[in-house]
Amino acid sequence: MAVLAPPSSDIDLWEDASLADPYPLYQQLRDLGPVVHLSAQDAFAIPRYDPLREALADWHSFTSARGVMMNDHVNSAFTGIVLHTDPPEHDVMRKVLAAPLRPDQLRLITPRVRAEADAVVDRLVHRGRFDAATDLAQHLPLTIVSTLVGLGDFGKERMLEWAAATFDAQGPVDRARTRAAFPKLDEMVAYATQEVTAEKVDPAGWVAALYAAADRGALRPGQPEAMVMDYTGPALDTTIFATSSAIWLFAQHPDQWDLVREDPRLIPHAINEVVRLESPIQRFSRVATRDVEVGGHLVPEGARVLMLFASGNRDERHYPDPERFDVRRRPSDHLAFGHGVHACVGMNLARLEIRLLLEALAAKVERFELLGVERAVNSTLRGIAHLDVAVS
Amino acid sequence: MKLTFRRPDGSHGVHDTDPGTSVMEAAVAHGEDGIVAECGGSLMCATCHVYVDPAFSDLLAPPAEDEAEMLTCTAAERRPTSRLSCQLVLTDDLDGLVVEIPEEQV
Repeated sequence: MAVLAPPSSDIDLWEDASLADPYPLYQQLRDLGPVVHLSAQDAFAIPRYDPLREALADWHSFTSARGVMMNDHVNSAFTGIVLHTDPPEHDVMRKVLAAPLRPDQLRLITPRVRAEADAVVDRLVHRGRFDAATDLAQHLPLTIVSTLVGLGDFGKERMLEWAAATFDAQGPVDRARTRAAFPKLDEMVAYATQEVTAEKVDPAGWVAALYAAADRGALRPGQPEAMVMDYTGPALDTTIFATSSAIWLFAQHPDQWDLVREDPRLIPHAINEVVRLESPIQRFSRVATRDVEVGGHLVPEGARVLMLFASGNRDERHYPDPERFDVRRRPSDHLAFGHGVHACVGMNLARLEIRLLLEALAAKVERFELLGVERAVNSTLRGIAHLDVAVS
Repeated sequence: MKLTFRRPDGSHGVHDTDPGTSVMEAAVAHGEDGIVAECGGSLMCATCHVYVDPAFSDLLAPPAEDEAEMLTCTAAERRPTSRLSCQLVLTDDLDGLVVEIPEEQV
């Protein structure tokens, strides 16, 4: 079969209107082909599930080592993070990074996290009305960054601001939104790489373990400084948005909340369904290391290629009735956590935090009443800034 | 080909499956709730843990290094017959395979 040039589109995924409502655009891109050239960014996008999954598994052809974000400033600021490496170097770093995030290690901290989850849910249910995007969703991720990662209160008050800016700064450089986030991004990088030191962090925490790994030769000197950002960068807004999206979906689909309340064993599957439908990280990118064929179309060597996780997750070729929120769907093959060697290293922790909150809520809340919702607009993330709910 | 799940309550699920699918995928497709398979086969969660009936042990290649490592993370007791079902791809010679689902996965 002849290898064709991909179809081209002038769809601009980084217009504010696109960021606020990307799904109709993803649909158009999926209809166009397995890979589409985006003229606005002179980049390629993979919008369908099967070729996307295949590309994510193929790190030889689609490298992460030239950054997974859409501009040089942010890709260079994040030099040295695990997300921006390829095997074999990636595998060595990831093993160290992943050690405290393994299921057996997380089981040890589950009682503590559960106590925190129960306490925040008790408090909010007692109040009756609250902002699920802030009061509910931010508590566990912030607590974990300060206690388990071991940064203490040092920098904690700025973490949320930095987290949003980190993802906002990942857009194309010709966007005001992207450039406006650079100063905060630079501040966060300076904090993580210069102010966080082995002496200042909790010796029992995860950052201290990175320094210990360098001391025993498992990491090279200088690597822990960058890898701090692998913990702090994606720990907050991602899990926070997944949590508030869950409440937003359950508020609109009380029948699905009833199913979860009747059988809380559905919660792990419900979490997969939430992130399939409302993927917090909408996309990262790769660079083609050679001329690569994607679904019969040519992606040239050196091209930047967008991995549209959120689009693949709603591909009607893969998920029947993909717009429907169905907690019994069991879509554990979704791409919201990525796929392949870079699959989200924190997914077990994210699942744990969300599961414990939903379990606590399922025991106490019959109905969520949606009183107001304000979307967060961000270059990379999809989520909710404010979600005013009443519970009964 | 036939695949049998022995469930924690003592009941059995006997399913017709095709070679090339994993035991985890077959479990999910046939609604075996005891296989949670949270991570979808990425070898990150250890929630598709099974005990392989010893009669079939010799037919299976031993776990690869990354599976063996994740087997230390199972919620239920790890036994010599423990495997992650996402890594058990069905082949014709495994027709009739019997696996037991542990009490706990998460």
